[in-house]
Amino acid sequence: MASSEATDREHNKATARILRVLSTYVSEADDFGVSELNQRLGMTKNMVHRALTTLAEQGYLIRNKAGRYELGYRILELQNLAQAEPDFRALAAPFMRQLYELTGESVSLAVRADDFTVFIDAVETRKLGAWRTQIGALRPLHASASGRVILSSLPDADVDSYIERRSPMRLTRPTGVMKPADLWRSIQNTRQRGYEIARRGANPVMVAAAFPIGDSEGGLHGVIAVGGPEERFDPESPRLAPTLHALVDDLRARTKLYAAESA
Amino acid sequence: MSDAENPGRAVVNTSALHVFDALRIVAAASEPVGASDIARQLGLPASTVYRALITLEESEYIDRFQSSARYELGAMPRLLNRALLRRFTLQRESAPLLRLLAEESGETASVSVRLGWYSLRIAVAYGSHDFYHRDRLGEVTPLHASLPSRVILGALGDSALMQYWAFAEKYFKPTSAERKLTHSSAQSLRRDGVVIEAIAASSEKAAVGAPLRNGNGEVIGALVLHGPIVKSGATSAPASFLSARKSLEASIAAAPQRFASPFAHLNPNDIRIALPPSPSFD
Repeated sequence: MASSEATDREHNKATARILRVLSTYVSEADDFGVSELNQRLGMTKNMVHRALTTLAEQGYLIRNKAGRYELGYRILELQNLAQAEPDFRALAAPFMRQLYELTGESVSLAVRADDFTVFIDAVETRKLGAWRTQIGALRPLHASASGRVILSSLPDADVDSYIERRSPMRLTRPTGVMKPADLWRSIQNTRQRGYEIARRGANPVMVAAAFPIGDSEGGLHGVIAVGGPEERFDPESPRLAPTLHALVDDLRARTKLYAAESA
Repeated sequence: MSDAENPGRAVVNTSALHVFDALRIVAAASEPVGASDIARQLGLPASTVYRALITLEESEYIDRFQSSARYELGAMPRLLNRALLRRFTLQRESAPLLRLLAEESGETASVSVRLGWYSLRIAVAYGSHDFYHRDRLGEVTPLHASLPSRVILGALGDSALMQYWAFAEKYFKPTSAERKLTHSSAQSLRRDGVVIEAIAASSEKAAVGAPLRNGNGEVIGALVLHGPIVKSGATSAPASFLSARKSLEASIAAAPQRFASPFAHLNPNDIRIALPPSPSFD
């Protein structure tokens, strides 16, 4: 009995690998070959080949003329139309948890409401000194890293009219007024880098990294951000950065399959 | 199919097959379903089913319903279905037009494509009316069994129609009421170029649908505006609906290869889909 349970466990590991191969099809590409999957997933070619064969037998994949595998129409049997579709918050939830586990710092999720950022979800760190997110509170777009990421996704003309409407662009932490030139500099940096890094305050200096999360039509669902005191959190460190970006990219692959909800 | 019939399958471990069987049960259940229920339906020991469910849950293929011990489909199958729909170029192309139609009418606008002897809804936009038709993305129906389906069926030639009824008789067993409705929709399409059908919630108003054809005149899908759009007995669709169709057909004619279904090369008789449960009005 014990040995058959051990075999069972081995088999379940093999099954988990088969499911992982199928899950790869959530990414941008329409089809995959054995060596691509072998590199991408770090499985032996033999394992990949067996997984593909099983999935093709089940009809979830189809082998195309080029000998590569693409999604089969029997995937359509794996849906339940009575279940509600996930919203942006539900799509992001597992990634917020993973970002928190990776960094140990606070993670937030924000969307746009006209000229404001509204935070719709957060995981707050238990460490002393946390980046605080007030769920449901409205902050002007220029006043947070997440909001500036939203601004950087807009056409230049829309940014200009935002600046015109909201000037003087007041800040509360630290108290003051943001100059249009400073906002533009931050927007250009974000566009170039693909995400925003913001530092503010003193004793301690707080750092946040905010990432735009796209929708199916090239627009924005919202922004996921992680932040904490500079002395223990560096989003650009070689230890953190690659995993951080990989997580954000995985989330993006998912949200790109959904249209943004209209506010 | 047993291993004896298909010796190639012997290399596949049986636990993988159990896992897919369990997944299909969760997908097909109308309510969240527990492990013992699944074990009974599959005739497998509970311990085997528990392990299969753990594998599925860890891989995001199933999820606990409200933290209970019962399961529903997880994120991954939905994402894979979205990824499949994304392969239809018509989805991207029709999105802005559907949004306009939905905004203007307040009702539900959608595009479905032909997939063998079924229709598959690949794009949808919901209007702002409080009571709306919750036509879902990814819904698959036999070609006689929904408005978009009947639009596509009505636009097929006579020989394809005969082949369809042979297939339907074998697998769907359509009722005589369904056949009658299909017949009258086909007539309306031939006469008016559009299908106008009474809707469940209103006796006075009707929904409209029209086929989408490629440059060769072959039907590849249907555009549908679902809701009280026109008076019952009307013979023409609103101008905005017709112009949306015209614009989609022009795009299709300009690049027929890009708009071809990824499954167009398959024989329709080979495409069999176990239909997922669909929420009903009553």
